[in-house]
Amino acid sequence: MLNTKKFTRYERARIIGARALQISMGAPVLLEDDSGEPIDIAFKELELGVIPVTVKRSTDIITT
Amino acid sequence: MYKKMKLADTVRIAPELLGDDVNDAVKIALINKLEGQIDKKIGAMVAIINVVEVGEGHIIAGDGAVYYESIFNALVFKPELQEIIEGSVVEIVEFGAFIGIGPLDGLIHVSQITDEYISFDSKNARLVTKESNRSLSEGDRVRARIVAVSINEQDPRDSKIGLTMRQPSLGRLEWIEEDVKKNEKAEA
Repeated sequence: MLNTKKFTRYERARIIGARALQISMGAPVLLEDDSGEPIDIAFKELELGVIPVTVKRSTDIITT
Repeated sequence: MYKKMKLADTVRIAPELLGDDVNDAVKIALINKLEGQIDKKIGAMVAIINVVEVGEGHIIAGDGAVYYESIFNALVFKPELQEIIEGSVVEIVEFGAFIGIGPLDGLIHVSQITDEYISFDSKNARLVTKESNRSLSEGDRVRARIVAVSINEQDPRDSKIGLTMRQPSLGRLEWIEEDVKKNEKAEA
């Protein structure tokens, strides 16, 4: 699964922002504990690496 | 003409549907987005048959939804010039008859119904020919040829399809049968 360390801080911000918006608009939460503010849930999901998102960079395409 | 076409489009999947099966969500989104739409090149979208492939999803800043690229099979109807169609009369008006041909309606102007003079009988909502006393009213099945197509994408209801029945073997189905019998008798 995706690791937090793979993303730059800008990417992390973008992912948490997008994910928090999804959750606030009713997307299912990928944690067992789905209480709290969307932004906190998104943060936790990113820490655990459960967000099914990939970052496409225009330069420096990472090889996994 | 009805056609089965393989098409590609991008659809928005609302965040509350993200946990479910992507194919189902994409199919429903395609149905909601496209069915009933009219495109100049493709024609009228009648139904989405199945989703062939769902590609990558994109998350666009400022929207919690995911935009999926997809390839799907669709049933479309595109009126082609010179095409022969069969349909039933949905409405008779002073200047002609509207024919329902599947997802769209076509118009036959009074001058294009028969070679004879035609008058409008407003009491019975029908069109009557002067000499042979043939009539055309709502619900009658007719065969006609498409002679003009003007599709308006913004307002599909404003699309216009012009039809004619002033050719042999065109007209109300009963008239065609009568003519065929008449011709057989004349030959015999």
